[in-house]
Amino acid sequence: MTCFEFERDLPECVEGQPSPEQQAHLNSCPACSGLLLDLNSIASQAKMLSAAEEPSAAVWNALEQRLRSEGLIRRSGPVYLPAEAKPSFMQRWRAAWLIPVAAVLAVVAVVKLYHPVNVGDKNPVATQSQPQPQAPVQVARGKHKPALSHEDQQWLSTVSSRPPAQLAKFRSNLDQANAFIEDAQESLQQDPNDVYMQQMLMNAYEQKQMLYEMVVDDSSH
Amino acid sequence: MTDARKQQGEKLTEAEAIERAKQGDAAAFKVLYDLHKRRVYSLCLRMTQNTASAEDLTQEAFLQLFRKIGTFRGESAFSTWLHRMSVNVVLMQLRKKNLPIVPIDDTLEGDEEGTIKKEPGAPDERLAGSIDRLRLQRAVDELPPGYRTIFVLHDVEGYEHNEIAEMVGCSIGNSKSQLHKARLKLRELLRVDRAEKARK
Repeated sequence: MTCFEFERDLPECVEGQPSPEQQAHLNSCPACSGLLLDLNSIASQAKMLSAAEEPSAAVWNALEQRLRSEGLIRRSGPVYLPAEAKPSFMQRWRAAWLIPVAAVLAVVAVVKLYHPVNVGDKNPVATQSQPQPQAPVQVARGKHKPALSHEDQQWLSTVSSRPPAQLAKFRSNLDQANAFIEDAQESLQQDPNDVYMQQMLMNAYEQKQMLYEMVVDDSSH
Repeated sequence: MTDARKQQGEKLTEAEAIERAKQGDAAAFKVLYDLHKRRVYSLCLRMTQNTASAEDLTQEAFLQLFRKIGTFRGESAFSTWLHRMSVNVVLMQLRKKNLPIVPIDDTLEGDEEGTIKKEPGAPDERLAGSIDRLRLQRAVDELPPGYRTIFVLHDVEGYEHNEIAEMVGCSIGNSKSQLHKARLKLRELLRVDRAEKARK
């Protein structure tokens, strides 16, 4: 085999095994064996280039924004609040009583919904191996607005003097937080040991508490 | 432990994230994004050589994926589905910019094909062992766009020639031929780079 003949079939040789004839040529031709070695090396090293770089955080932020604007994200996202000017100290603490109320609500909900498997359970395996049928998690926001609690109504009355557009935003955020809570509670009633949903419930209560805190912060308006 | 499990306190697998994303769960979208962002972004960067364009295309690829995630039935691997979509997004962009996807054959004519430089008994001329990621990356960036596309799809991303032919719109033989030329060109670029370094 000549170098010309070897070069003609070189692409197949790079991606596979050389034939006995090619191997015989490689053994006698340092130029061709060097070339094959280099091309094999390039092909194998190229795999290192896959997944070598990472996009900036701005990519996810922009993507998340677009997903929200297109309605693809429908639940468990953070509650966005309108940016407001900083009020004075006295104004900020006028509605401070709402914070402990929200915190107590969160603790009560967790205590009520947490059902660990009892250590002394006579038939723990049977209890765990017969899960309730899983219903899909409903998106409450799309179905209806959850009923407002007494605390929610008081919270809304605190912000009732705000401009209608702002008030609508507050109400929308509150409905969203309540919808998350309702979703998580429904799921936990079906499977109290669902750690993911327990975390979702905690997050929802934290979001609601954050809303209450915003009332405190923005009560100057 | 996978990245997805770390993200969700060891609870959310990729399959679970896909199901939750179908229901519009923001956290699940983020898990899927984190799992695949590096590979998608690297592909976009390799093909465009521009970080801003690569980030835009990464965003576009994931957006298309999440728009269609409801139709994903799991017949193919999720990553295959995503990467195929990413490649299509990049190729579409290259077409819009009128960049050649399949090169004109005479770009490198006489430069390498059939012109192996004879170097008997000169093992120091060989590259094997001296190719590191950065040098190779630089050399890939210097490839003509058409050769780069085929090389990235085949040698970096691992697509087969029949898949590349379908995606790019060329024959399988053409894909093989362009890949071979791309590798030969890379070899030349790497040798020049090494020779320049040796002179300094």
